[in-house]
Amino acid sequence: MRSWAILLGGLLVWAAHFFLLYGIGEFAGASTAARGGVLILSMLALLVDFWLARRLITLRASDAFGRWRADVALGGLALTALAVLWQALPALIG
Amino acid sequence: MRSETGFDPALYDRFPTKGRRPKGEEDELRRIWCKPKGWEYLTVVNNNYVGIYYLGTAFLFFLMAGVLALLMRAQLAAPMLEILPQGVYNQVFTMHGTVMMFLFAVPAVEAAGVLLLPQMLAARDLPFPRLSAYAFWAYAVGGLCFFASIFVGLAPDGGWFMYPPLTSKTYSPGINTDFWLLGIGFIEISAIAGAIEIIVGVLRTRAPGMSLDKMPIFAWSMLVFAVMIVIAFPSIILGTLLLEIERAFNWPFFDATRGGDPMLWQHLFWFFGHPEVYIIFLPAAGMMSMIVATVAKTELVGYRLIVLAMLATGFISFGVWAHHMFTTGMPPMTTGFFSAASMAVSVPAGLQVFSWIATIAIGKRSFNAPGLFVLGSIVIFVTGGLTGVMVAMVPFDWQAHDSYFIVAHLHYVLIGGMVFPLFAAFYYWIPMVSRRALSERLAKWVFGLMFTGMNIAFLPMHLAGLQGMPRRVYTYLPGQGLELPNLISTIGAFMLAVGVSLFLVDLARNFRLALDEGNAGNVYDGATLEWLPSALYSTRSIPVVRSPEPLRDDPKLAEDVEKGRYFLPGSATGLRETIVTSPLLAEPQYLQIMPGPSAWPFAAAIFTAGFFLALTVQAYSFAWVSAVLTVASVLRWLWDTDRKVEKGEVDIGAGIMVPTYVTGPSSHGWWAMVILLVVMAMIFIMALFSLAFLWSNQPSFWAAPPLGDAVLISLLYGVAFAAALAARPLLRRGPTWPVLLFLVSTLASGIALWLDWNGWNATGLGPEASGQGAVIYALQALEAFALAIGVLMAAYCAARAGRGLITLPRSNTIDLTMLFLAYCAAQGLTGALFGRAFGMP
Repeated sequence: MRSWAILLGGLLVWAAHFFLLYGIGEFAGASTAARGGVLILSMLALLVDFWLARRLITLRASDAFGRWRADVALGGLALTALAVLWQALPALIG
Repeated sequence: MRSETGFDPALYDRFPTKGRRPKGEEDELRRIWCKPKGWEYLTVVNNNYVGIYYLGTAFLFFLMAGVLALLMRAQLAAPMLEILPQGVYNQVFTMHGTVMMFLFAVPAVEAAGVLLLPQMLAARDLPFPRLSAYAFWAYAVGGLCFFASIFVGLAPDGGWFMYPPLTSKTYSPGINTDFWLLGIGFIEISAIAGAIEIIVGVLRTRAPGMSLDKMPIFAWSMLVFAVMIVIAFPSIILGTLLLEIERAFNWPFFDATRGGDPMLWQHLFWFFGHPEVYIIFLPAAGMMSMIVATVAKTELVGYRLIVLAMLATGFISFGVWAHHMFTTGMPPMTTGFFSAASMAVSVPAGLQVFSWIATIAIGKRSFNAPGLFVLGSIVIFVTGGLTGVMVAMVPFDWQAHDSYFIVAHLHYVLIGGMVFPLFAAFYYWIPMVSRRALSERLAKWVFGLMFTGMNIAFLPMHLAGLQGMPRRVYTYLPGQGLELPNLISTIGAFMLAVGVSLFLVDLARNFRLALDEGNAGNVYDGATLEWLPSALYSTRSIPVVRSPEPLRDDPKLAEDVEKGRYFLPGSATGLRETIVTSPLLAEPQYLQIMPGPSAWPFAAAIFTAGFFLALTVQAYSFAWVSAVLTVASVLRWLWDTDRKVEKGEVDIGAGIMVPTYVTGPSSHGWWAMVILLVVMAMIFIMALFSLAFLWSNQPSFWAAPPLGDAVLISLLYGVAFAAALAARPLLRRGPTWPVLLFLVSTLASGIALWLDWNGWNATGLGPEASGQGAVIYALQALEAFALAIGVLMAAYCAARAGRGLITLPRSNTIDLTMLFLAYCAAQGLTGALFGRAFGMP
């Protein structure tokens, strides 16, 4: 499970962020509090992405599979950080 | 990570082995994996036969749905034509979409997985061959019965997404809609069975050494595809179930006047429906990645990026479902989130396209048959992808929604993203299963006609859509500027059909099935394991994989494999078998004994189809008889399995010993059960979502829940859960203990469910009263259904214990029943508490 968690870490952060945002949009509407919630969640998601990336870089895999896994995971983190930011914009500037 | 399981990777250095193999070893393999004769073609379970059947049937549905498309195009060639009456046209467009999506696209890629994966992973077969056979026959029989409905005027006519209230009993009183709801629900069961097979197959039966970073891209794509099916399809299974219950028993899930909401259907449908597009696209993209590298005669550029893109697509595609609902008046912020995610999903798709272009750019440009279809696919898919980004923008979608612009967009995406890659795959892999490759000369004509025809057919539809032509109209008035684009589209559609017909001619001339040797072989010089010499037992020996392109990196590999110098050069037990390896690094763990041909999966599929068909035509007695026969067939099929073999450990090559019987989380059966439980949990979660959705949208219909019995219900479910879990360790004391504990578990869950039902009943809330009542009782019905299966499993364990067929001190049968009953208790508890939590004063 640890390997899968490393490989999919960023994507799991994206999924949690998206579905929580959907919940806020659906149940709390577009109030200021809801927008604040989106901002906090998005900051949190980016922080988790950053923390995961740092851990991956410091882990320094010693074998080919470990390096491959770290590369894919880092790519996932970069992609999802972008997606998290992009996804929060409708609430933050809308 | 050096070793995942404690296996010493240095042992791989023993391969290839030296010296001659004993005489008769290969003959023994041939005897065990023998060719079927006569009626045995119905009971065969080998992946190569089932894969070919599957693919052939899926292609047949493609042709039949294509004929429906031609009928539609003929009708629309000019204004006010009467080739098809309006009612028939409704059935034709509904069947075209439904058959293409459910009976062609998903089964075709699943079939490709069944056919190619064992060869590509160098397994003898997928881990549950009988399940594959069941999945195929259920799909084939159910699909053909479903399609036949159009010949008697009973085909569904509500469009492929079947929106209520149009499909409610009030507006669709006939059984046409029931054909769709029950037929599709049934076919989804087959898709899920296939998905379970593929996930376990890809993760647990790879050749030793084939760690995830060396796995063929197609296997990656099939893994993501199958996981997506497991997550997405339960939503449509629940949706069809709820709509059918509403129609049959008047439970108002989707009736806004009684506390239901038709929007709920749209959420349930599109939570499946949009990922479905990627479910279809990803395996095709996997095929493209394999083919593009081979035809360009170079390494695939960006293997890691493509894996990342597939994983990201698998995730992000679940965040785009509501972009089909932009015009329904969703909250603006929610609309914004879905719009953003819909644009974001194009990033991973773009990564794959750029990787293909880069591979072609650095490699040798080749215009052979697969190469042409690859290039055509990229052009068409990118065009469809760009219009996809356009409709992801809300203001544009408001203009284009439900117009022919959308019809054009979806055909560009699906034809470019799936049909062209599939044709590339036909040309590329047919030499693996046929004596002769298909004709390169004819292929150029096929490609030319299909590519030109496709663009002539669908490009003008963008224009027709922007000019205001709505989709699904059976005709249009003259003088609106729609005549010319429609006529051009019709000409293009027939041109496309001529291309496909020419492909059929090529198949008739050149395709000669050769599964047991004598195939045309590796004509395009592919570098992955499916191009090793093979027979019905797959490869003679199972190689150690040391790179992603083993045939290119080790030119002697094919010869060594063929001479039996790798793993499992013969049969270790005299039975069908394959090596089960670890999920990350593919280290050998144990030898799986595989079941052979059997009539029971076939019988079970026929009776399952009979059950659903009888329900549709309201022949209830026949339906119950079929249900009983289905259960009997499944139990009979299982009865032969989970037997301990004589030899506890065997040599799988070069003196490496592995066990022949493994239980617990390492076993492939455990994995399959966990995936099945994920499917069930997803169905249940979507039902919980339904309750929450109605609670937030229809608060005026909400009644206060019963609270007094919550503690007792929780305690009983707790007892059921604990009793189930205790069964595994207590098996050491004899098989009677787990059977008794299963009895306690089912009894406690049954009483808890009854208390739950009784509590709600006492409040006066019935299932017909409101949306809340309907969902509450639906949750209980789901629990009752799961529990009924649990009781059956417990009884099956008791029967096996009585016959001395439970192995000690551990048994897979006991393990899997334990998992199932523990899940039942957890599901029951969650449902009872969740139902009470919503609407608490």
